[in-house]
Amino acid sequence: MERLEVLDCEGRCDPALKPQLRPDQIREIYRLMVTSRRFDEKAFRLQRQGRLGTYAPISGQEASQVAPPYCLQKSDWMVPTYRSAGAYYTRGVPFKNILIYWGGDARGARVAPDQRDLFPTICIATQIPFAVGLAWGAKLKAQKEKKTSEVVLCYFGDGATSKADFHEGLNFAGVFRLPIIFVCENNQWAISLPRSRQTAAPTFSQRAFSYGMEGIQVDGNDVFAVHRATQAAVERARAGKGPTLVECETYRLGDHTTADDASRYRSAEEVARWQKLDPIVRLKKYMLQERLWSEAEETKLSSEADLVVEAAVEEAEAFAAPNPVSFFDHTFAELPWNVLEQRKALEEYLKEKDSRKDTVILDKEGRFP
Amino acid sequence: MAFEFKLPDVGEGLSEGEIIQWHIREGEAVHADQKMVDVLTDKATVEISSPKAGTILKILADPGQVVRVGEPIVVIGQKGESFSAQGNNPIPSSASAGRGTASVARMVPASEVQGGVLATPAVRNLAKELKVDLSRISGKGPQGRITEEDVRRVAAPAEASARRPEERIPVRGIRRRTAEKMAESWAKIPHVTHFEQADVTELVALREEQKGKAASEGVKLTYLPYILVATVKALKQFPHLNSSWDESENEIVLKRYYCLAVATATEHGLFTPVIKDCDRLGIFDLAKELDRLTQKAKKNQLELSEISGGTFTVTNVGPIGGVYATPIINYPEAAILGVLKIAQKPVVREGQVIIRDILNLVLSFDHRILDGAEAAEFMKTLVQSLENPRTLV
Repeated sequence: MERLEVLDCEGRCDPALKPQLRPDQIREIYRLMVTSRRFDEKAFRLQRQGRLGTYAPISGQEASQVAPPYCLQKSDWMVPTYRSAGAYYTRGVPFKNILIYWGGDARGARVAPDQRDLFPTICIATQIPFAVGLAWGAKLKAQKEKKTSEVVLCYFGDGATSKADFHEGLNFAGVFRLPIIFVCENNQWAISLPRSRQTAAPTFSQRAFSYGMEGIQVDGNDVFAVHRATQAAVERARAGKGPTLVECETYRLGDHTTADDASRYRSAEEVARWQKLDPIVRLKKYMLQERLWSEAEETKLSSEADLVVEAAVEEAEAFAAPNPVSFFDHTFAELPWNVLEQRKALEEYLKEKDSRKDTVILDKEGRFP
Repeated sequence: MAFEFKLPDVGEGLSEGEIIQWHIREGEAVHADQKMVDVLTDKATVEISSPKAGTILKILADPGQVVRVGEPIVVIGQKGESFSAQGNNPIPSSASAGRGTASVARMVPASEVQGGVLATPAVRNLAKELKVDLSRISGKGPQGRITEEDVRRVAAPAEASARRPEERIPVRGIRRRTAEKMAESWAKIPHVTHFEQADVTELVALREEQKGKAASEGVKLTYLPYILVATVKALKQFPHLNSSWDESENEIVLKRYYCLAVATATEHGLFTPVIKDCDRLGIFDLAKELDRLTQKAKKNQLELSEISGGTFTVTNVGPIGGVYATPIINYPEAAILGVLKIAQKPVVREGQVIIRDILNLVLSFDHRILDGAEAAEFMKTLVQSLENPRTLV
């Protein structure tokens, strides 16, 4: 199975595989990675302070979070998982939305009209068929309008490859030669289940062969390798040459979510081993060696990242809680009678409370009573 | 403006946490996101940082204290500011809850609920039985819900407990885990205990013979390694004893590996370190491994991997004394062997009363998995091995 590595952990670049990126693009990718990590650390602390419901950290996976969406155009689609703060940020989705969502308010996941990024999916692998459907739609639309197709970037983890949705989705994408890039962020652990128990196959990427599509494994902590592989896959998809499965071998440095304690199932030595392969450190070393970066710029970026994150926290916390009645809005186009009854009961209850002035209910969006 | 920082739900649906360690002291300044306290929850030890910059005015919960989610644990404000700390309040009002913890349940304040109180039907029934007026109790459960514990506390004859000297010790740490484990085992497993006697006069002689050689190799040789070898031998003949009951599948899981847990009492509490793959170890190896694990247990340094994966447990009740015991099975195993003290006793051999070294053995087993006859056969096999100890080495 082909494996792509460009940048080693000392920041040395394979001369034959120099990145196809301009210096300003490399700096932008670095900025996105650093800011994503800063956000990640903040979000984790917020949860511990009781200011966020739960959160799934991305630290360690910044290369595979940032590089693939960086290869997309705004008109392309991204279908993320629940561990996608960095990918969302790269697509221009503000951190505020991510905080609102993990604060238990679904409006944080609302897809804005000009935004082509799907909501986070909590159920493992269920986003894969959605993504395949989007890609099919994009292909049909492009054929009809005789234009180049939009492409779809679909994320999932190593655990998702063991689910039926994965098989159904990839098989369909292969048969219909859909413009889709499947990025498997193999972070070695599906909660507490290690990579070795996920599949007997030596790689996840080799599954591409059985679906008749291109497949490649990349060092997922090497942002240039991830970029090169995804860029090639995007170009292939746009040219009508079908889907690609890109396996990014990376590592979740933190817990599965804020409700997990990873030290119970994996050793400190293992984590330390992966810390040495940190994608951010590696890129920084490269940039310093190539004189694309200085410590002064690093300090500036660091304070800018903090500002971005703190502003997002402030905005998210100032965002009024939803009207409880909106609870009924998003599952049915037309509410069945029994759900209608429940909705009515809630409305009446809220009104009655309101009349007694012991709580404030706003007619549109307000805090929880 | 001083504010009370309340223990948040740092997992998903936690009800309480134990304060492990404070990283800040009263009077000290904190900055936003500075590490404040470590809290042990059902799932993990988590580090909680300060949501704001300010001065630590008062710490409301000491290390070791179990705090319910929503209870204030620290007051943060400006230096010199006066404040009124409540401490151990009931659950805070919804206004102070962060957006992360907002829940639909909070839409129903206690005062609004039918009958004026929040309590489950079982608790209401109990209150009726014990003649407790629920409207007079403030509940300590979520949203002020009255729990069974609240009712019982009120129902207990207050004057009696006021006069009698009593001490209340919070149950936590290893004591709590032991209690939970024992209660689970006792509740789920129908226990039967079988008693046996072995004439170990020859074993006493054999051990005496090998003790010197062991000591020269730095091994402290007790009787336990011989008993473990004999146990493994018998387990191989009676696989039901080395099994567990899988409740979710309704299946008996026969284990073809022999990892014996040895119950070890320490000043920190009871541990059951596991000797992995006993069937591959000789007497001296077992003695060494036993000694290593016992030392670690005494220092409270056993790792998770050293107390898990057992298939059968042996508990040495002997050292202190006693004639018989009825051990509780180390759930979800199928049985536990209790070993008593070796004592010289008069026994009858060929019509004559003679003095022999006698070892009493007890076996508690899960009657769902096996029946008394099989347990008796197992014990008979074990006794035969111990009475002919040279077959073990």
